[in-house]
Amino acid sequence: MKLITVLKQVPDAEARIRAGSGGVDLDGVTFVIDGMDEYGVEEAIRLREAGNDVEIVALALGPARYEEAIRTALALGADRAIHVETDTDLDPISQARVLAQVVHHEGADMVLVGGKQADWDSAALGPALAEVLGWPHSDWTTKLELAGANVTVEHDTDDGHESLTMPLPAVITTQQGLNEPRYPTLPNIMKAKRKELAKRSLDEFGAGSGLTQIVDQQIQTRERLGKMVEGDPATAAAELVRLLQNEAKVL
Amino acid sequence: MIGFELSDDQKQIQALARNFVKDNVTPVAAQHDRDETYPATVVEAAHEVGLLNVSVPEAVGGLGLSMLDEAIIGEEFGYGCMGIYTILMASELGIMPLLLAATPEQQQRFLAPLVEGPRLAAFALSEPNNGSDAGGLRTRAVFDGDEIVITGTKTWISNGGVADFSVVFASFDPALKHKGTVAVVVELDRPGLSTNKLHGKLGQRASPTYEMVFDDVRVPISNMLGQQGDGFKIAMRTLDKTRIPVAAGAVGVLRRALDESSKYANEREAFGRPIGQFQAIQFKLANMKIALETARLQTWYAAWLADNDKPHAEAAAIAKAYASDSAFDAAQEAINVFGGYGYMNEYPVEKLMRDVKLNQIYEGTNEIQRVVIARHVLQ
Amino acid sequence: MILLVTTAPGGNLPKSARELVTVARQLAGGGPVAAAVIGPESAASQMAEYVPQVYSLSAAELEPARAEAVTAAVQQVAAQAGATTVLMAANRLGQSVAPRVAVRLNAALLEDVIKVSGTAGAYEAVRYSYLSRVTETVRTVGGDATVITVKPNVFPVADAQPGGSVTSVAPQLDATATRVQVGQRSAATGGRVKLEEAGVVVGGGRGFGSAEAFAQVVEPMADALNAGVASTRAVVDAGWRPYAEQVGQTGKSVAPELYIALGISGAVQHLSGMNRSKVIVAINKDADAPIFRIVDYGVVGDVNQVGPALTEAIKAAKGS
Repeated sequence: MKLITVLKQVPDAEARIRAGSGGVDLDGVTFVIDGMDEYGVEEAIRLREAGNDVEIVALALGPARYEEAIRTALALGADRAIHVETDTDLDPISQARVLAQVVHHEGADMVLVGGKQADWDSAALGPALAEVLGWPHSDWTTKLELAGANVTVEHDTDDGHESLTMPLPAVITTQQGLNEPRYPTLPNIMKAKRKELAKRSLDEFGAGSGLTQIVDQQIQTRERLGKMVEGDPATAAAELVRLLQNEAKVL
Repeated sequence: MIGFELSDDQKQIQALARNFVKDNVTPVAAQHDRDETYPATVVEAAHEVGLLNVSVPEAVGGLGLSMLDEAIIGEEFGYGCMGIYTILMASELGIMPLLLAATPEQQQRFLAPLVEGPRLAAFALSEPNNGSDAGGLRTRAVFDGDEIVITGTKTWISNGGVADFSVVFASFDPALKHKGTVAVVVELDRPGLSTNKLHGKLGQRASPTYEMVFDDVRVPISNMLGQQGDGFKIAMRTLDKTRIPVAAGAVGVLRRALDESSKYANEREAFGRPIGQFQAIQFKLANMKIALETARLQTWYAAWLADNDKPHAEAAAIAKAYASDSAFDAAQEAINVFGGYGYMNEYPVEKLMRDVKLNQIYEGTNEIQRVVIARHVLQ
Repeated sequence: MILLVTTAPGGNLPKSARELVTVARQLAGGGPVAAAVIGPESAASQMAEYVPQVYSLSAAELEPARAEAVTAAVQQVAAQAGATTVLMAANRLGQSVAPRVAVRLNAALLEDVIKVSGTAGAYEAVRYSYLSRVTETVRTVGGDATVITVKPNVFPVADAQPGGSVTSVAPQLDATATRVQVGQRSAATGGRVKLEEAGVVVGGGRGFGSAEAFAQVVEPMADALNAGVASTRAVVDAGWRPYAEQVGQTGKSVAPELYIALGISGAVQHLSGMNRSKVIVAINKDADAPIFRIVDYGVVGDVNQVGPALTEAIKAAKGS
């Protein structure tokens, strides 16, 4: 069974995001593998540990610095990786069209990808990829089980949860709750050095220049008062209510 | 030419160590320090992710990581808890004599088991009456047929009572001074060996420190490292290298002192503004930063020299003395930044000072480090 | 032609549908607007009070809504209506379906927008990124059409413009469109003010220590304020609260007038779901908790003590 885990590298959640001249300034920011994608890598490894004969391929589309995140996926347990290297900022729909070509060429049975990307705040990649491939998809998946030629999942909906059964091949988007990602152990980090990381160029895929373009980015500044209210519970509560009524005027 | 970038896998090692420490060490550090209890779960977890005994060679199943890799790991652990780091560091210290002087058979026998479980090594050089004067060992080693009989007392031995084995330095002929010494691997379960955990340390209280009493302890002669007479040399060559992780741990403490102080300086207000706006505080933070950057670079430089088989004793001594002295100063200044709160154990900075004071003392006091440096200067 | 698409849970038009009407009218600038309603005919009739041309999709295969089936149905209606712009609410279903529709229509996708203007082929929208810390302006620069998902609770609901007509559409759904089988479904527990529409929200986190403590403090406060109840991911994962209350990167996004965060540490993933609230109050026993960096008012204290005291003070102030 061939599993492809799609991943991105995004700023660390703790990183201070700055903006400069209309765009986000990522200078000096620490990057990590997108946490959402990690659940996908972990799930693929668990499928292997459950006794299924799987090959896990990590796939990423992005600039050179993505290599670190790809190496992390290899250290976690992916068998090899493909990096479509480009500095072009492609929208999710266009990215899906590129990635689908790789997935199709690999003859994969399942694609796992994070439910929402932490830099674009986009949830489009998974569903778009499924559509280009002509596959069904499950988004916001919290449980996954192979069932012969099908896969049964539980996923989040607007109201709650739902269980779905769909035939493979399928796209599964992943999130917290699906599993608990492991640490890449030191021995695995060292082994990952010898795993194959194939580089491809975006030109090979006829991507064009994309369907949307970001023309401006501003840090959302919201000046907060940051007023700390002191005193024992009753005193603090009374003062808080007074402030909310008279100052903030929201009560 | 010079490059200052970490390689991809070094960055991954750093990230792994940092996350590991954040999740496993930092949350329990204060409690183990308070109760002087051994953090067994941390040691097990460190083994599981491969951060324990990283210098064990690949040939016997280890990772064979470099000194620079160890320095990267050491800084991250030092940031979380220097006491807990000493457990890992002291195990690598116990391994180093075998890397320098053991036969392949000895490496297989003693080092292979260290990667199979959360198991430790120890380095037993110091004695109640004998610290810096490493040539004046009083522990006696008598060659008796195909055995060596060891009698004497060692003290200040990190991991001594929990390690699978200790490398014990003893004298077989005091008249020969340091040429009359020998290094012997002594397994913990040898009859006649008893250990007492020492209590009442100022800091690094999570690290178990022992007095070890050898009462006619017999070991096979195949436990000897190198030849008769090599003991002192093996000890010195070991410490020339292992003072680098000591420096790295101190760099971690330095970084922690700076981070805690700058965070506090942004939040605490006096005279109507955050204290970070006052030069008195700013200068303290700047001094910490100056020390941090330079101590780290010197530590990495010493590690690079060691990894490339270049003479490194002086560079390592500089790193160890400078990093530990600066870290101690930074830690006590951090207390000053926090004021009254810094004096209380609910806040993390007083522990930094108590912990890193030991970095100035063990693995060769900073006075001895200066002797080493002066010797290089004057030769 | 601008086509908005909505479902109708329980046979009623959701608030988001009427927000979509506002956006559609704005973009159409007087031109034709149509709506596709997936649900019972009665819901389509309700939509006809707002939009001149309504397509009713009440086929059994569309209930429950499955991404591929809805995608196929939307594609067909768009073709029938001659629509080059398709709008959906950026809820779970919308975010699941819209990208698939965009691929089918060879369209550009503008996701989770809070502002949008322009004409087909040259739209400009504003949306959030970097876990809601950045506001970005995006333009369409290609595609034969545009699909836009609209962030709920941002746009005002539209006024009625009665007189629309309803056309029933029976979607052609092949085996592919219906190959996903839906098993067990669990719905939200109702009763309280709907979270996304609440003017005041009381949120709780792991700081409470137990589900009982959470309920004992949060629920009376929410009652006193007629507020919605929100939960962090951790609390939902622990089984204390239902998924429908989850706010954050993987849950709902809310922006009420007042958000009271109780026992919430302030992980950036949760903040991304509520940091646009007009006024934020937090109570947490850890003075270093990140939440205190984004509050208007904060109290360092035990939520189990300060919380009930606050509820009493609120009741006293409201004279109840």
